Amino acid sequence: MITNKPTSTISFPTKRVAVYGTVAFLGLLSFLFVNWRFGLGIILIALILSIFSIPIRLNPLTVKKIVRFKHIRRGYYSFLVLLFLSVFSLFAELIANNRALVVRYEGDTYFPTYSDVKLGKTFGLEGPLANAPVNYRDLQAKFKAEGGDNWVLMPVVPYGPNENNQFEGVLKPRPPNAEAKHYLGTDGTGRDITSRLIYGFRIAVFFSLAFMSLVYLIGITVGSLMGYFGGWFDLFVQRLIEIWSLVPFIYMVIIIFSVIPTSFSISTRVSILLGIMVLFSWTGMTYYMRTATYKEKARDYTAAAQIIGAGPARIIFNHILPNTISTIVTFMPFTMAAAITAITALDFLGFGLPPPTPSIGEILKQGTARLDAPWIVTSAFVALVFILTLVTFIGEAVREAFDPKKFTTYR
Amino acid sequence: MNQSLTSLLKHLSFFSALAALLSGCGGGSDDADTAEVIDNTAEVEEYYATFKRVPLELKAKLDSGAIGQEEFNRSMEDVALFFQFKTIADIPEGLNWTNGMDLPDFGSPNAKKGGTIYSALQDFPRTLRRVGPDANGGFRPYILDDVAMRMAKRHPNVTGIGPDGHYYYPELAKEWAVDKENKTVYVRLDPSARWSDGEPVTVDDYMFMFFFFQSSYIQAPWYNNWYTEMYTNITKYDDHTLSMSVPEAKPDMNSRVLELVPVARHFFKELGDDYVQRYQWRFQPTTGAYVINEDDIKKGRSITLTRQKDWWAKDKKFLRYRYNYDRIHLTVIRDIPKMFESFKRGDLDATGLVNLPEYNYEKLPDSDPDIQKGYIHKATFYNDIPRPSYGLWINQAKPLLDNQNVRVGIHHATNWQRVIDEYFRGDYIRMNTTADGYGEFTHPTLRSRPYDVDKALEEFAKAGFTERGPDGILVNADGQRLSFTLSTGYRTFQDLLTILKEEAANAGLEFRLEVLDGTAGWKMAQEKKHDITFSALNVSPEMYPRYWETYHADNAYDKPWLEDGVTPNPERKIKTQTNNLQSVAIPELDALISAYRRSDDADEMKQLAFRMEEILYEDASFVPAFVRPNYRAAFWRWIQYPEDFNVKLSRSSGEYFLAWIDQDLKKETQEARKSGKTFPVSIEVHDQYAPKTITEEPSLAGITP
Repeated sequence: MITNKPTSTISFPTKRVAVYGTVAFLGLLSFLFVNWRFGLGIILIALILSIFSIPIRLNPLTVKKIVRFKHIRRGYYSFLVLLFLSVFSLFAELIANNRALVVRYEGDTYFPTYSDVKLGKTFGLEGPLANAPVNYRDLQAKFKAEGGDNWVLMPVVPYGPNENNQFEGVLKPRPPNAEAKHYLGTDGTGRDITSRLIYGFRIAVFFSLAFMSLVYLIGITVGSLMGYFGGWFDLFVQRLIEIWSLVPFIYMVIIIFSVIPTSFSISTRVSILLGIMVLFSWTGMTYYMRTATYKEKARDYTAAAQIIGAGPARIIFNHILPNTISTIVTFMPFTMAAAITAITALDFLGFGLPPPTPSIGEILKQGTARLDAPWIVTSAFVALVFILTLVTFIGEAVREAFDPKKFTTYR
Repeated sequence: MNQSLTSLLKHLSFFSALAALLSGCGGGSDDADTAEVIDNTAEVEEYYATFKRVPLELKAKLDSGAIGQEEFNRSMEDVALFFQFKTIADIPEGLNWTNGMDLPDFGSPNAKKGGTIYSALQDFPRTLRRVGPDANGGFRPYILDDVAMRMAKRHPNVTGIGPDGHYYYPELAKEWAVDKENKTVYVRLDPSARWSDGEPVTVDDYMFMFFFFQSSYIQAPWYNNWYTEMYTNITKYDDHTLSMSVPEAKPDMNSRVLELVPVARHFFKELGDDYVQRYQWRFQPTTGAYVINEDDIKKGRSITLTRQKDWWAKDKKFLRYRYNYDRIHLTVIRDIPKMFESFKRGDLDATGLVNLPEYNYEKLPDSDPDIQKGYIHKATFYNDIPRPSYGLWINQAKPLLDNQNVRVGIHHATNWQRVIDEYFRGDYIRMNTTADGYGEFTHPTLRSRPYDVDKALEEFAKAGFTERGPDGILVNADGQRLSFTLSTGYRTFQDLLTILKEEAANAGLEFRLEVLDGTAGWKMAQEKKHDITFSALNVSPEMYPRYWETYHADNAYDKPWLEDGVTPNPERKIKTQTNNLQSVAIPELDALISAYRRSDDADEMKQLAFRMEEILYEDASFVPAFVRPNYRAAFWRWIQYPEDFNVKLSRSSGEYFLAWIDQDLKKETQEARKSGKTFPVSIEVHDQYAPKTITEEPSLAGITP
């Protein structure tokens, strides 16, 4: 039972990881809800710092596990693909957007993607277009027709996620068409599906990451406390959890969402949705943590730490947690999959993210009503299955890599 | 110890009561048959003998504190009884009796009786009651609105205004006379009129109608209010002769009386506190052609209406070519796409889904094989009725929206034309006033403001919004963003609002969308919590639009003005639960509305209506959206319609029950579907009642580089 060997001496940099994790999480929140550029910076810094700090002092067992995870090809490559897609989706504005990447006009160069909205007169448009925000696709066509030195470089998918594009003079689903750059076609009101999928993916992934972090933060803390203190505290909290977990979460979402005022911005409403989902989902984690902590608590190293005079917080988070974490890690990808499914299902039912926020669930819903335009439902379905498969593969691989039985004789 | 045990028992009994309540939700309503027997004859007689209607002026005086309770009681003693009993000799001489029999008949003489039509409902009716909780659903037209007989009904093709108001053809009445001076309508009922259980229809059923609708048993406050406020008296002269009086001699006062549907006195003997449960699933006797037999109610699945073979009115002019199907079979299909598939299979005989552009142009286009082979026919019919007021209702009581320039800017920043052209694919037309489709009462020249970014920016600039923020939304000097919540209870129109949102952003205006379910959306608007709501008030084919409900200051605020009647009361509070969704309060408009309500002259009312529309145009708190000038229907070849398809006032192809089934054609078509035989294509447009085309003012907004 090597897994249970006390590891406090070869200290896993719990504290540091916790600090970086918190920083990254704050960054994530500000990314989603405050200012995404600011948030992105923080996340990147936290990521780099933690990557540099962890490997040096990794628990050899953990290293072993990671090596094993890398050897499970299917899971490892799924992980790389998902990681790539997630990072890639951070730059969605550069890939699918109705704003140009670069505009060259009268000798000046503009980068409209991340800049303030530009009005038509900036680029010499006249009449009613002068005071309206520029339509860069039209501008591109105009510059091309004029043939001068002015040019516009559009992203690969030159459509925004909420933009209605007409087809044959009306708004209706348009089949996939590479020439028009609608690679997956458009939905019922002419919005580009590729663009909506990319933005929808970004929201789903980061929503589920935020969801996972919060659920684990609460679940681990409460579970460890229950296991460590035991006794009446354990009994009491267990009963609370039993009652709490009986509250049907989907109804709560529906009820609470029907009463929150709309003057809240979309990001606030997304955070409220996140909050409600977390509030009703953290309970599942506590049982595992409680059992694991009970088991660890009985071991000698815990007693040793207690004798030295370490406080409960130190013992739980510095000594016990590193030894119980493997139980938790294996659940992570599945929690993420559950979160993606939940947000998709809520959107499908019409209780999720407020319109017109792009989301896979919303496309799926449209698609099932518009079977005459099969590309809508196909795109959403394939995308959803793809993401969930990736996450599941990762989950399987993690579970196998972290399987303690690997080290036992009764395998 | 003992005490705690009792309290525990109390809790237990509470829970068991709760359990009983929950199980009661399932199917407890059947208990009604075993409930105690009620006979309300004495109660009704007592009511007839004592009930006095409180005159509205008197009530207003009491409420405002102008008179005390005592004086009120004294005044009430002079008020006559609501229910009066007189003899034939009391009918005044010299009344001008009419019966509408000289009006042209409608429907087709070729109509064949018989057959079963298969149709679908999205929800199973929640009750068979006509009034009370849950009664006002999609099924009610089958048992009340479109089927139950009135004394007389407005002629759906002759829609002009005569000396007595609109033209009426008789249903239950034999003849009637309007006495404008005394604000009274006299009616002789047709002695041959029968309830579906064989009982004759008499004046007693109309007397009882008032008892029924005024009573609190029915749990329907709207009816309580209407039947108490809109009528002042009913008098019985003999079993088939009655008169009713109304408080105001409006140009359409005949409609107030003639449109009434009787309530079967003998059936509602058991009317009492448990009305809602007791009558939940009991089909009440009808004067109409269709009844529902108990065996045909398959709860949650289907319900079937059966035509009475010996219906009393089957040979009457105006009714003889209608109500042709023997049976109407309504299956519950909750899913719209599935409903459509059922129609395409031939399980359903007709569908109105082609009213939605995606069905008409993509799922069942004119090029569809079934249409090209002539199996399925399509028809478009232009009707001419008051239009539901779809539009953006801007709540002036909200900050920023109290600025008229902002509101005008919103008008110019809302691109309805794009919605109409690209989303509705040109099937709809722009609405221009707050009350389109009222014929002579609709303002003839007023046009809604077009989408125009420059004009919108100009108006917003006047209100101090001159700079665009980093996201392109306008901000004023205080840093306030030009951003409003746009809420709606119409989930089906969600996509349309996202178009508006995107287009408004061009003019620096942000709409935050809030899509609620129907009830929640309407409730929010009625509580005046909205900034801007996208909604519509449905309207029946009335002669003239109503303004008091939606635009009078009394419906916007409690005590809107100070003593002088024009200065806004600084302490006024928003009045909720009214239809003045825009919180409009304009003294000049109030004066016009009062004059309009008092007026009994159609021409004067028209002039007042036009003036009010002009004021409302200036006020700019209603952005008129769109009007659907027609409806469509797709039906299998064996469903036949009259030559002219339908009547001018019809709102859907089925409303007047003019169609019939040709059994031979049905057989022929079904065989042809197997053999591949084809028939001539039939895609018809009936535009005999279409409004004359109005050329739109060209708007600059449509131009792209």
